[in-house]
Amino acid sequence: MGDEAAVPGTAPEKVIHTYPLIRHSDMSEEMRVEAVELTVTACEKHSQNNELAARMVKEAMDKKFGPSFHVVVGESYGFEVTYECTNMCYMYFGGNQAICIWKCS
Amino acid sequence: MIILFGVIQQKDATNKSRGNLAEDDALDWLKPRTLIKPDDQEEVPEADLEEEVGRILTTINPQWVADEVAYHYGKGKFMVKPKPTYGKAYPLYVHQGTAIRKDSDEAKAQIAAGYGMVSFDDAGPKRVKVKKTKTEEEEEEEPEQEPVTTEEAKGDEDQVQEEEKAAAPDEAPEEKPAEAAAEEPKAEEEAVAAEEGQETEEKEAGQEDQMVQEEYLDIKPRVKKLANQFNFCERAALTYTYPRRSVETQTIPPPRANFGATALQCIIFDYYQEDYARKMKEKEEEKPKRLRKKKTKHVKSEQQIHDERLAQRIREAWAILERLVNQNIYDDIAQDYRYWDDPSDEFREGMGSLLPLWKFQFDPMRSHAVCDVQWNPHYQDLFAVAYGSLDFTLQQKVGCLCLYSIKNPAYPEYAVITESPVICLDVYKEIPYLICVGLYDGNVCVYNAQLSLESSYQYKSNSVRDKHSNIVWEIRWGPRLIDGEPSFFSISGDGRVVQWAVMPGELQATTIITLTSNVPPIPGPDGTMLTVNSCGSCICFHPERTEIFMVGTEDGMIHTCSLKYNRNYVRSIQGHHMPVYRIHYNNYNNSIYASCSGDWRVKIWEDGRDEPLFMFELGSPVGDVKWAPYSSTVFAACTADGKVYVYDLNVDKYRPICVQAVVSKKTKKLSRVDFNSKLPVIVCGDTKGTCHVLKLSPNLRVMCKPPKKAQGIDQRTLQIMKLDKLLSLVRDPPFQTGVVDEKFEDD
Repeated sequence: MGDEAAVPGTAPEKVIHTYPLIRHSDMSEEMRVEAVELTVTACEKHSQNNELAARMVKEAMDKKFGPSFHVVVGESYGFEVTYECTNMCYMYFGGNQAICIWKCS
Repeated sequence: MIILFGVIQQKDATNKSRGNLAEDDALDWLKPRTLIKPDDQEEVPEADLEEEVGRILTTINPQWVADEVAYHYGKGKFMVKPKPTYGKAYPLYVHQGTAIRKDSDEAKAQIAAGYGMVSFDDAGPKRVKVKKTKTEEEEEEEPEQEPVTTEEAKGDEDQVQEEEKAAAPDEAPEEKPAEAAAEEPKAEEEAVAAEEGQETEEKEAGQEDQMVQEEYLDIKPRVKKLANQFNFCERAALTYTYPRRSVETQTIPPPRANFGATALQCIIFDYYQEDYARKMKEKEEEKPKRLRKKKTKHVKSEQQIHDERLAQRIREAWAILERLVNQNIYDDIAQDYRYWDDPSDEFREGMGSLLPLWKFQFDPMRSHAVCDVQWNPHYQDLFAVAYGSLDFTLQQKVGCLCLYSIKNPAYPEYAVITESPVICLDVYKEIPYLICVGLYDGNVCVYNAQLSLESSYQYKSNSVRDKHSNIVWEIRWGPRLIDGEPSFFSISGDGRVVQWAVMPGELQATTIITLTSNVPPIPGPDGTMLTVNSCGSCICFHPERTEIFMVGTEDGMIHTCSLKYNRNYVRSIQGHHMPVYRIHYNNYNNSIYASCSGDWRVKIWEDGRDEPLFMFELGSPVGDVKWAPYSSTVFAACTADGKVYVYDLNVDKYRPICVQAVVSKKTKKLSRVDFNSKLPVIVCGDTKGTCHVLKLSPNLRVMCKPPKKAQGIDQRTLQIMKLDKLLSLVRDPPFQTGVVDEKFEDD
């Protein structure tokens, strides 16, 4: 009984959000959509390998918007970067991954 | 010329050195293929046979004997053979010179052309000789003494020194029939002949040297060369070289910014939660938000709306007040308009009169002419007036479209100034606030009387292709198009009838017919033949068959056309001798129409007849003719001398039942007239911008009384019957009367 009572109580807290969530971005609408899509694809494809995911996003972004993009995929890290304006996107995905994409050549 | 000396045995030299062997080989080759081996042939292993033996090119002739001795019979002793300079040497590489024989055809041609004629001293021939020997030597492919000379001629002094030494021993091989020289004599002869005996090859070395020097020196002053395919001219021009300068600019680096954050599971989780909560909140608020938006809008413009409403109310109040005042002022006229019937009509059978009621004027348009006037089909007290100008020598710059109500004679209900004089108008029956107008400059516009005046016209043909290039004389609304757009037709002085489709936001023009004239093509200024279109002046649509319309032209023709044929007329009659101003179908009989013209005449026609049924001469150009809407036999016409004529064919077939001078014929002309569709009034416009509303006296609007035999027949049938009866009397072949009652005539 107690367990059952506890389950509905905890249920709303246990909701895990996996949708891509932009924390900070100054990209243009088009670029941002593209970046988010790429990130989703890459992170889903390489869910176990952040390096590959980052590489995939970086290469695709380079191809689409010109070099040089930098991508960081990870679960916990801190950063301080200098980026070219309107080329920065910091987002969360999958509930536990933070992806930082910026351009600086 | 460069000659490489090598020891490759070649050609005849090869043959000579290996004489027998080679010959045997050749014979062997010719014999049948039976391999005969000499008995003493050495057995060579296969490997040795196939071994490759390299040959080395050296500058030393290995077969050259250093001190060859031969017996000299003359001297009776052995002598050391003179050394051939390079008797056993053969050219490996021969570089062709650019010289040609002087006596060759080519050279002759060139000399004739002026080349090689600079100095005619010794140098000339000598030079030629040198060249010649060179050429010869090339031909022979045999190193001879001449090459020496050639090379000397080249001016290589060192070489000359060497060759001099060699030159002396050279004599011997030359003289003796050496193998190499054996083939030479022919060439030698040529050479000698060419030399003109001046020089022989056996010249003293030193002498030759001198000669060479001389030659060399002599040749120098030569300026022109004998040109051949190997002579090229080089021409060059030095252009200005622009000084180099380096310009540098440094662009502003793209703006950069810094961003830093920390990604931790807790932060990510918190942010997701936050975002989720925000989303949920938005979802909940979505509906109220929309409502709230509307509310704010209302709130914002409430004051304005209030103001607008107030202004509107005030405006309406003022309008009513204005009408009240006007009604007070014109009370007697209003009373007359409603109730006064000329009592004298009872005493004069078959004659009537017109009672002048209001006069409508719009002050800015005092100098304009009323070019068209039309009652509104929906509001019986409203009529539209087109202010233009009929004085084409003194054309006005602007025009005006006005809507007057007889409730307010002082000021038009609606007035809009147009950019060009308005010549014609038509009120749309379906949407009575839409008025299309034709302008003097060929444009057509559609005005929406509901819109405020600021917005002016709703449509204008300004930007439309194929618009009229001349005055638009008449404009008529037509049936809706297949897609439901309203359309109207216009006829213009450029001889075209154009259908205009009122599309959303624009007008679309379609040329229905181009009015051809009988005038033969006139040669234009540039020789082309110009076809002359006849100028259309009026248009009238058949009341029932919407595709049939009639067109009056300025040369008096009346063409019946169909929308289905854009080339030919259905019918064509010479109706008048002057421009036809109006064609109007009878309201009761679709085959009867009236036309009026500048030739003073009003004619009543029946479809399919070339001759008019009636013809009236009014003594002045007739500006307009209209059938009365209430009677099949009544029509009114207005003339340029200011009179309105009302005819009732049933009463008098020859004379008008009413002639009334409305304006002074000295200053004004009447241009247009129109019957009100419901009230017994007509409006006519004059050339000074005044519209006169006249009331028809009772005698002018006599209704038919039904015959005693058939009481139930309605007025319309009676009117039709009345007209039919009348027509039967007029038509050339007596028409069979049968339907009409005899007693009907009495009525």
